[in-house]
Amino acid sequence: MKRRDFLKVSAGASLTLAGLKLRVGGFFRRAYAQTQKPPELPGSLGAKEIPSVCEMCFWRCPIVAKVKGGKVVKIEGNPKSPTNGRGGKARVCARGNSGVKLLYDPDRVLHPLKRVGQRGEGRWVKISWEEALDEVAENLKKVKEKYGPHAIAFFDHGASAKPLREVFKALGTENYSNEPAFFQCVGPVEAACINTLGYVASGTMQYTDMANARAILLVGSHLGENVHVSHVMDFVEGLSRGAKLVVVDPRFSVAAGKADLWLPIRPGTDTALLLSWINYVLEHGLYDREFVSRYCEGLETLKKAVKGWTLERAARLCDLPQDQIEQAIKLLAAARPHVCIHPGRHSAWYGKGDVYRHQALLILEALFGGIGTPGGLCFPTPISLGRVQAVKEAEVEESEEPLKGKYPFCDPFPGSPTHEIIKATLTGQPYPIKAWGICGANLLQTIPNPYQTMEAIRKLDFIFCFEIYPTENALWSDIILPDTVYLERYDDVYVYDSVPQCYVTVRQPAVKPLGEARSPFWLAKELAKRLGLKVFRTESEVEILNERLQGLGLSLEKLNQEGGLVVLPAKAAYDRENFRNVFGEKGLKVKLAIEDFEDEDFSPVPIFEPAPAPPEGYARLIYGRVPVHTFSRTMNNEWLHHEWPENQAWINDEVAAKLGLKDGEEIVLENQDGKRSFPVKVKVTPGIRPDCIYLSHGFGSRSSKLSRAYRKGASDQFLITHYVQDPFMGASSHRTNFVRIVKGGKVLNLPELRPLPPEIPRFKVSSARESRRATRRRKKARKSYPIEGC
Amino acid sequence: MRHQWAMVIDLDRCVGCHACAVACRAEWQVPVNHDHDGYAFIQDYEEWLKVVDPEGGGDYRRNWVLRLGPERTSQGELAFTFYPGLCNHCDDPVCVKVCPVDPEEREFVDFKTGKKVTLKVKATYKEPFYGAVLIDQERCIGCGNCVAACPYRARYINDTLEEPKADKCTFCYERLVHGEIPACVKTCIADARIFGDLADPQSEVSQLVRSGRARRLESDLVKIGPNVYFMGKEKNLELLFKHFAPRKRTWEEVEVKARTRRGILKVVLRKLA
Repeated sequence: MKRRDFLKVSAGASLTLAGLKLRVGGFFRRAYAQTQKPPELPGSLGAKEIPSVCEMCFWRCPIVAKVKGGKVVKIEGNPKSPTNGRGGKARVCARGNSGVKLLYDPDRVLHPLKRVGQRGEGRWVKISWEEALDEVAENLKKVKEKYGPHAIAFFDHGASAKPLREVFKALGTENYSNEPAFFQCVGPVEAACINTLGYVASGTMQYTDMANARAILLVGSHLGENVHVSHVMDFVEGLSRGAKLVVVDPRFSVAAGKADLWLPIRPGTDTALLLSWINYVLEHGLYDREFVSRYCEGLETLKKAVKGWTLERAARLCDLPQDQIEQAIKLLAAARPHVCIHPGRHSAWYGKGDVYRHQALLILEALFGGIGTPGGLCFPTPISLGRVQAVKEAEVEESEEPLKGKYPFCDPFPGSPTHEIIKATLTGQPYPIKAWGICGANLLQTIPNPYQTMEAIRKLDFIFCFEIYPTENALWSDIILPDTVYLERYDDVYVYDSVPQCYVTVRQPAVKPLGEARSPFWLAKELAKRLGLKVFRTESEVEILNERLQGLGLSLEKLNQEGGLVVLPAKAAYDRENFRNVFGEKGLKVKLAIEDFEDEDFSPVPIFEPAPAPPEGYARLIYGRVPVHTFSRTMNNEWLHHEWPENQAWINDEVAAKLGLKDGEEIVLENQDGKRSFPVKVKVTPGIRPDCIYLSHGFGSRSSKLSRAYRKGASDQFLITHYVQDPFMGASSHRTNFVRIVKGGKVLNLPELRPLPPEIPRFKVSSARESRRATRRRKKARKSYPIEGC
Repeated sequence: MRHQWAMVIDLDRCVGCHACAVACRAEWQVPVNHDHDGYAFIQDYEEWLKVVDPEGGGDYRRNWVLRLGPERTSQGELAFTFYPGLCNHCDDPVCVKVCPVDPEEREFVDFKTGKKVTLKVKATYKEPFYGAVLIDQERCIGCGNCVAACPYRARYINDTLEEPKADKCTFCYERLVHGEIPACVKTCIADARIFGDLADPQSEVSQLVRSGRARRLESDLVKIGPNVYFMGKEKNLELLFKHFAPRKRTWEEVEVKARTRRGILKVVLRKLA
C-alpha cells in the first residue's frame, strides 16, 4: 500500500489508535499513520520507567530513567519523592537531565587499559579484565609486603567508592579514605558542627530549613549556581514566602541578585564580620534568651571574647559600609528564631581560621534560637537500616605515626588528610607511601597544587584508577579500570532524613553496562578474591540491598512495587528534647565556647586571623560553581557542554577600564608562582570586587582524551598552587592564591582600588628571580609531561 | 474567551539552572550544533538574531536560557537575571504568514472534548483549540521562511534530518494530549514556569496576566501577541527587556511568495520520489 492510500483508508476508518488514547488533530495522525505498525509515542512518552538515584552530582535526587528500545532516552525526577517530586512535578537539574549523554559519551573508558608511555602521557593498550585485576592485586601485594599496609592509599568520592574502600580497609591501610570531598570541601564546617552542636548540621547533607525561614544568611554560598535540587527548592520557596536574604560574597552571585542586601566583603575577613555581629546581638539583647539559657553553654566566655568587635572595626577590615552591616544584622535578628544562618558547605578556604568562621556562623544561629527550629537548622530523623552481614568490615590498626596525628579534630572522620598522603608520598616521611588507588576523584583538578600531586605520582611504584572518563587522573595511572555509569549499576540504599519528609530509595540499573564496564561491587569482589581477603560473603549486590532494607521491613521488590521510593515522616526535625548527638548523648547542647578546642591549645571561641591580602599588582583568585556542571566531571557531556563550554574570568569593570580590557577579550592568568592558565575570555562586570578575579571551577581540562572539554577555559585548580592546611583537621585551602593578567604576552599589574588596612598583612610573592626559575621549571616540565602542555 | 495556552516565567524564582533547556532537548531529541556552544553568553539582540540560520547550520534548540548581568540598571542597582525562552505561540504568528506551502484542508480534534473542526492550513499553523503554533513535519519543505521571520528566534532548521525541516517548541502539545505537563515545566527546579490556559479565569497564568504583574516581551516595533510572559523584580525585567525585547520586524524581510531555491528543489525531489 502506498503511503497516500494508507492515509486515505485510515482517515476513513476514523483512526482512534486504541490503547494510546490518542484522539488528536491531523498533526499527529499523519505522523503515526506512516509507520503502519503500532505507532511509537513521541518524545519520551510510553517509555519504560526505572526508579533510581541520580549521580550527576552527589546530592542523590530520586529519578526515573526512561528506557525505549533498550536505551535510556530521558531522565526525570521520581514523582514519588517528597523533595524533587512534590507538587506533581518531577524535577532534575540540567545535569540530571544530561545523564543520558554521560552514559552514551563516545569518550567513555569502556575497557581495562594499561599505560605504555610515561605517566601523564596518556598512551595505553587495551588489556583483559583478568590481566588488569592481576596487575592491580600483584602490585598492591608487593607494596604491602615491602613497605607495610599503610604504604597503600585510597582516594575516593561518591557511592561507587564504597565497596572498594572495604577492600583497602581489609588490606590494613589507615589511609583507606582520603576523600577530596572532605579534605578539600566540607571538612572545616563538619568539624565546627560536631564540636558546637554535636551533629553535622551541614556537610554532605544540609539540615537547613530555608523553606520555613523568615530570613536567610549566606556567607559565600552561591545557591542557584551551586545546584542541589531540593536545597535550591527550599531556598526559592523560602524567598517566595517572603524571607529576607542577606548575601555576603565578594562576587554578585545569582543569590546576591535575589538578596535584600549584598555585602561585597573583602575576602578573608568573614570572621571579623561575624564576630561584630555576635557582639552586636549580645550587646543589644537581640538574642533568644530562653533558648540560650536552656540549651547553650559558654555565653560568658563568648561575651568576653567578642568584646571590642564593634561594627566600625568590622566595617574597616571587611571594606563594607557600616550602616549596611548594621542593617543586615537587624534584619536577621528581627526574624529570630526563624532565621537560617546557612552553615556553608565548601569551607576549605584559607586553611587557618576556617573552623572558626563556621563556628561563628553556628553561634550566631544559636543566639537566634534557630537550632531545632522551623526556618532554622533542623535535625536528622533517625532511620535504621538493617545490618549488613554479607560484607565483613575490617578493623584498621593505626600506624605508629598516623598521618592524621597532627590534627586533633580529624579523628571522627575516616582516612587521612589528602595533603598528608601527598607529602608522605613525596618525602617518605613519616613512612613511605608507594601505591595509590583512586575512585571517583579527579585528583589533579581537585587538590591544591596539582604540580605537587604530579611530582608525588612520579614517586609511586603503582597507581590505578577506576574511572568513567579518561580524566587527567587516568592519564597518570598505570592501570585504568572502566567504571559503570550510575544508570548501569546498583549502589547502596539511600536515605534522606530531613525536611519536609524523609524517604528511602535505591540506585538500580536501567540498562546493562556498556563495553566492559563493571560495577564497583564486582570490581571490589574480584580484587578481594585475588588479594586473598574475605570481605564479601555474597556474589549478589541485591542481597546486600535487601539486608539493608530489611531494617525497614522492606525488600528491593517491595520498594519497587512502591515506585522505588518509600516516604517516612521527618518526625525528629525540630525535636530538641529527644535529639541524640553523635556522641550518643540525649538532648540538645550547644557549645558557644568549646573546651575541647582549648584543651588542644586552640581558642575555645572564634577568633579572627586575617588571610593575607593580594600582593601588589595581583588579585585574589576566587572560584565557584556553575549550575550545569559538577566539579570537572561533566564538562565533556555533549548537552552540558553546549550550555556552558568554557568559563570566563570575571573582572571588575573599573579595573578593566584602567587596564584597557574589554568584555569577551582573551587573556591568560598567571599566579604568584608563575603558573599560567589556558586562554580565557574576560567578563567585565560591576558584580565583583576590584581585588578579586573569579573563575568557575572545573574547566580547562588538560586531558586530550576528553574531546570536548580539552583546553576549554581556564582551570582554577592549576592556578591554586599555594595552600595552607587547617590546623584542626588538615583540610587544604583553596582561596590562598593570587593572579594577574597576561594579555598579548604582556603582564598587566592590577591597580589597587580598595586600600588595605594595616592590620591585614600582604602575601609575599617570591622574588622575580624565583619566578623566572619557576618559568624555567615549567618549560622543562612541559617537555617531559605533556599534561602540562599549556 | 478563546482557549489559549500560555506560560508565565517568574524571574524572581528562576535561578538560571538550564534544566528547562536540557529537558526539552532530551524529550524531543533536539540535536546539538557545537558551532553554537556557549550560546547562553549572548547578551545582545542583534547577536541573537544571528544564532539561527534559515538556510540551516544555526543553533538547534526549542528552549534556551541566556544569562544577563551582573550589570547596573538605569537606577544604579546591580541585577543578575536570565532569559529563559521558548516559542511564544503568538496571537499573530508572523511565522505562519510566511509559510509558502499551499493550504490544505485538515480536520482538527479537541483532545479534551472530542470536538471537531475543519480548517485550511499551511505546513505551519496556529492550532484552533489551544492556540499552540505547530508545524506539520510531513508537509514542511524546510524553506526556512518561518525561521527567518520569527523575531524571537524560536524556530530553527533541523538539517540533521534527511530532509531538513523547521522545528520549534510545541508547548509539549503531545505530552499534554497524554495528560503530561510540558517537559520544561516538569523539570523546573525553582517552579519558575507556570503553564495554563488564559481562558480559564481560575488558572494561575490568567490571574497573573490580569494582575499586570506578568509582561509580554515585546517592543513598540514588534507587537505580535506573545503568550509567554515574564514577571519579577523591576530591575530584572529591565535587563531582560533592554537586551532581548525584539526590535526588528524580521518577518517583513521574508518574501512569502518566492520560495527559496532550496525549497523548490526539495519539493521537486519529493514529487520525483
